[in-house]
Amino acid sequence: MITRLLIERLDARAIIVVAVLLIVAAAVPALNLMLPADHPLHVPTYMVALFGKYLSFALLALSVDLVWGFAGILTLGHGAFFALGGYVMGMYLMRQIGARGVYANPTLPDFMVFLNWKELPWYWYGFDSFAFAAPMILLVPGLLALAFGWFAFRSRVTGVYLSIITQAMTFALMLAFFRNDMGFGGNNGLTDFKDILGFDIQVDTTRAALFAATAAMLAFWFLVATFLVNSKFGKVLVGVRDAESRTRFLGYRVENYKLFVWTLSAMMAGVAGALYVPQVGIINPGEFAPANSIETVIWVAVGGRGTLVGALIGAIAVNFGKTWFTGALPEFWLFALGGLFVVVTLFLPKGIVGTLGDLFRRRKRPVDDALEPQPAE
Amino acid sequence: MHILRSLLLSLLVAIAAALPARAADDAELTRLVDALGAGGFDDTSAQIAALAATGEPRVAAVLELLAGGDLYVKKDGGAVVAATRDGKGYRITDPLSGADLGTVDRSAVTKIKINNKLRGEIKSALGSLTLASTDPAARMTAAETMFKAADPESIATLDAAIAGEKDPAVTEKFAEARAAAVLASDAGEADKLAAIAILKERGDRDALALLRAAAAGEGAVAEAAATAAAHVAQVLSFWEAGQNVWYGLSLGSVLLLAAIGLAITFGVMGVINMAHGEMVMLGAYTTFVVQEAIRTSAPWLFDYSLFIALPLAFLVSGIVGMAIERGVLRFLYGRPLETLLATWGLSLIIQQAVRTVFGPTNREVGNPSWMSGAFDLGHLAITWNRLWIIIFALAVFAGLLAVMRRTAFGLQMRAVTQNRRMAGSMGIRTPWVDAFTFALGSGIAGIAGVALSQIDNVSPNLGQGYIIDSFMVVVFGGVGNLWGTLVGAMTLGVLNKFVEPYAGAVLGKILVLVLIILFIQKRPRGLFALKGRAVEA
Amino acid sequence: MTAKTISSRLAAALLAGSVFSGAFAASALAEDTIKVGILHSLSGTMAISETTLKDAMLMLIEEQNKKGGVLGKQLEAVVVDPASDWPLFAEKARELISKDKVSAVFGCWTSVSRKSVLPVFEELNSILFYPVQYEGEESSRNVFYTGAAPNQQAVPAVDYLMAEGVERWVLAGTDYVYPRTTNKILETYLKQKGVAEADIMINYTPFGHSDWQSIVADIKKFGSAGKKTAVVSTINGDANVPFYKELANQGIKAEDIPVVAFSVGEEELAGIDTAPLVGHLAAWNYFMSGDSEANATFIDQWHAFIKDDKRVTNDPMEAHYIGFNMWVKAVEKAGTTDADAVIDALVGVSVPNLSGGYSAMMPNHHITKPVLIGEVQADGQFETVWETPGLVVGDEWSDYLEGSKDLISDWRAPLSCGNFNVATGKCGGAAK
Repeated sequence: MITRLLIERLDARAIIVVAVLLIVAAAVPALNLMLPADHPLHVPTYMVALFGKYLSFALLALSVDLVWGFAGILTLGHGAFFALGGYVMGMYLMRQIGARGVYANPTLPDFMVFLNWKELPWYWYGFDSFAFAAPMILLVPGLLALAFGWFAFRSRVTGVYLSIITQAMTFALMLAFFRNDMGFGGNNGLTDFKDILGFDIQVDTTRAALFAATAAMLAFWFLVATFLVNSKFGKVLVGVRDAESRTRFLGYRVENYKLFVWTLSAMMAGVAGALYVPQVGIINPGEFAPANSIETVIWVAVGGRGTLVGALIGAIAVNFGKTWFTGALPEFWLFALGGLFVVVTLFLPKGIVGTLGDLFRRRKRPVDDALEPQPAE
Repeated sequence: MHILRSLLLSLLVAIAAALPARAADDAELTRLVDALGAGGFDDTSAQIAALAATGEPRVAAVLELLAGGDLYVKKDGGAVVAATRDGKGYRITDPLSGADLGTVDRSAVTKIKINNKLRGEIKSALGSLTLASTDPAARMTAAETMFKAADPESIATLDAAIAGEKDPAVTEKFAEARAAAVLASDAGEADKLAAIAILKERGDRDALALLRAAAAGEGAVAEAAATAAAHVAQVLSFWEAGQNVWYGLSLGSVLLLAAIGLAITFGVMGVINMAHGEMVMLGAYTTFVVQEAIRTSAPWLFDYSLFIALPLAFLVSGIVGMAIERGVLRFLYGRPLETLLATWGLSLIIQQAVRTVFGPTNREVGNPSWMSGAFDLGHLAITWNRLWIIIFALAVFAGLLAVMRRTAFGLQMRAVTQNRRMAGSMGIRTPWVDAFTFALGSGIAGIAGVALSQIDNVSPNLGQGYIIDSFMVVVFGGVGNLWGTLVGAMTLGVLNKFVEPYAGAVLGKILVLVLIILFIQKRPRGLFALKGRAVEA
Repeated sequence: MTAKTISSRLAAALLAGSVFSGAFAASALAEDTIKVGILHSLSGTMAISETTLKDAMLMLIEEQNKKGGVLGKQLEAVVVDPASDWPLFAEKARELISKDKVSAVFGCWTSVSRKSVLPVFEELNSILFYPVQYEGEESSRNVFYTGAAPNQQAVPAVDYLMAEGVERWVLAGTDYVYPRTTNKILETYLKQKGVAEADIMINYTPFGHSDWQSIVADIKKFGSAGKKTAVVSTINGDANVPFYKELANQGIKAEDIPVVAFSVGEEELAGIDTAPLVGHLAAWNYFMSGDSEANATFIDQWHAFIKDDKRVTNDPMEAHYIGFNMWVKAVEKAGTTDADAVIDALVGVSVPNLSGGYSAMMPNHHITKPVLIGEVQADGQFETVWETPGLVVGDEWSDYLEGSKDLISDWRAPLSCGNFNVATGKCGGAAK
């Protein structure tokens, strides 16, 4: 029954994506762990961590695509949810260090010791257990999104106004987390992690497992997102995106639809952040920077807005480009990256996936522009 | 600096000629001056005191030179000379007579080092030496220095100075300096009470500090001082609120300048212009280039550098803006979100281009003399650069409003942004209006850069610092409404400055952001919302 | 869509594909050079400070190669751009060590970038030279700290001002770890010296703060209480220019309220008109105005390398100069670039610094330095007005902080611990 439902709701493309993700989840760790280091197909450990980072970003991009591509909410503050998820994970990892910190204090993290904090602040309680931290990864960003969205959507804040206040939100959070008085380590953030779930975070097997978990998690959320956008709910969302007033006049409670997808997307972003932190080894307020959120939107645009798979491809492609350019052209990589963005907007307006899709469709049958979103006049 | 110093020098020489010779003989004086060349800071301190004790007016000139770091010791013989850079070497003169002693190699002399403490000592020594200066401004400065020193031993000197003083303003200053000295001395109660009255009249922070110090003891003097201090403190707290408003307006004018170009490109045209900050930066760099050119080829023009930079900055940013519009943005109308992507890319490119051309470090943009310093308005300290920036921001705003309201171009611009198709069918060349509108917005960002170069870093990151604030201002004020931008900028500025003293700079900024978010819930289209059909488009 | 645009789009897609496959194949050649990693931001907010250090390193490497390289091999610089993005620092560090196989890395500026790469260097056992003054409270086996610890900068500066009669203190800083820690240390220190709570004002501002009107007015107000007041500034790079401009405009002179800064050097002053700032102070371990022979040579080399006579030198550049020469000497002493051997060889190495003396690497991986206090001159240079009589050893664990007063660090053989607690006699958690 459920499988039938799934198959009905999923198109061929989604099945391919999930299959590829699951294969990658198994293959990369295998190539890393099982092959000797000098084997041509060996994947070095640093690439495992790197790919893990790309996949976390892909999940973040997926969450942005869900709200931007399907509900028309241009968020310039999704980095906030990503970072909050990351901080939750960071707090858990911090508590796992225990007495192995440089001051050997069993409860207080190092940065609290040298700033003369005497007690653990109340909001740090519970994070020593993963069973507590894991739901928090969903709850903290989710609740913030719920509160923010509840007000914003009910007041019918739309368009650029919404974009700018999401930006204000992440900017305010960034300033707040920079404050050392907040108790999250200020600018240095949380770092120097040792263990996750009892496994040493620096050994290859843990890294491989984290990578596999990220890929699997991405596959899972991709399924959820595909399921959602192919359902009736998804059709209404697209209605909201393309003609919000009309949808409202048809009797739909637009704000509830938006609120649901917004909160869900924030939780996805939180999960992405939580997976990102153990793989890069640091979380700090820089992740809240509005520039990061804008960049996420750009990944989606490069890949193709409104095509879930495009978000993944965009995030991976842009970040891969960044890695490569910063190493190969350290002085000029910004020209290349900036140029890429301009070229993509001008010549690939629907992103990589949208354009390829056009090519594909054109071969099969003539123009089908009716499916394209048109803004309400 | 140099003009001032030489002016002072010539004045002092004039005084020296006018005064009856106080007959410290020249040989003794030369010995004292040459002594400056030996020993460390403590020795120099004693030597300065010895020089000042001669009361010889010519000493003032020597001390000025010392304070300016222009006194050197000749390695050969240890004579102290005044030296100025002259090509590879130094031109040296006798510090007392000013007689030319020729030029020497750099290694032939060593500089006499001084530090802050010595600079302070020189200043107060000069104070007593210049009390009798013919220039009222110099006497004022001297009185101010002596007020700060509050040295009981100077009462007699000040009494003499007051007796000989004709200028009422200077007399008042002398009386204040005397009052400060009296409070610090063991004078009688009546004297001290009179001094307290004078200080209460002065009523500034320095007076308050003296009064508070005097209020520490017991008896009638302490009581009177306490009452006076309370009065002064209360008056000052009123002024402080005024000061906050002023700071707020000044911050608001900076926000206005940063945002006003964006009010055109984003507010009127609907381009989410992430490269706006870079237009501001280009304006600031234009100022730098203009000043560099002036420094190397026409130094006397320096005070006018900003006037030369303004039109150039407008042109540079405007042309870049037009190039962006023609080259990229015109393909993207009707797709505002894509403009975000493209302009973000452009902003990266412009930033890196500036970094490649000018280097990543800060560039020095000087303040012309008319933009330096401060003046007092009551107890408000108003800095010239902030005042000019407020005036400038309002002028730019008024000018832009005039262009929008009163010119044919403004009319076409409004027509195109309200209904492109209808404007087109009325015969308006919409593509060119678009191009010029974007160029106008960018050009205005450029001239904002000229102003911001006066108060901030001129570095490739300059624009990044303002972009978020600019968007906040435009959105808070209401997209598409210039008055909204004005009111929005000023409101946010003043709000920020009133929150800051209580919450601190960081928390203050967070609070303002939260307030913006809440405000948008209340008025989802900003302070001055556009009404009518244009809204839904 | 026309055929032409289709083909151009296809070309773009193909290009993207080839980028993908070619990216990681480029290295792995040429083993006849010794590689040195340079990990400084060339873009983003920190490029303003760090780019200079990248150039300084390239110059030092070039000079060394002219002298015949190290161990008979030429040195090869590997430059990457971590773009002021802290997680990217960790990623790039990993790439330098794992992929490029560098023998040592010179880099980082901010504390957070160092914290970000630290686990990477420990995990992969490589060597990092960190050239910037920092807050202390760290000692890693794999990191060599060639910048100043708080006792090599902040504490002597306060001592100097106290001797000058300062009784009231404003501790103004950007809100991040370095100013927080430094101010904590200074606060404890000042209180120990008998300064009352009411005579200390602490103020924090966000990064890149540009509107200093209220704060400068507050400082003015705090300073008009009749006692000699000084500002101890740990304000971070970018915010300094508007801060000093505001000071000058509000007429705060160095004779009235001197400002002593720990993050303002020649490079920062190059962006300001310093005439109104004469007499304000900075505490460093090197000033460009120093008159040693080595310094003159270094400045000439720098000007020749950067092809601009106006460029200044500064303290972190000297730190790289010292660190690089120490590394060269240690590699030659060890006869190999193997990390363990070099780490052991580095302790005790002594090389000339640029202020005319020698600096030595201590067992705690910090170096000995003279402390200089300089006053700003009208030409943008500093003039040394005071210096410590001898060299000061960097103290990684501050004696003025509750948590670290019992800790010491000694990376030599029997102890080999970065955080040995003398009270309990145990080595804390970070030891390997």
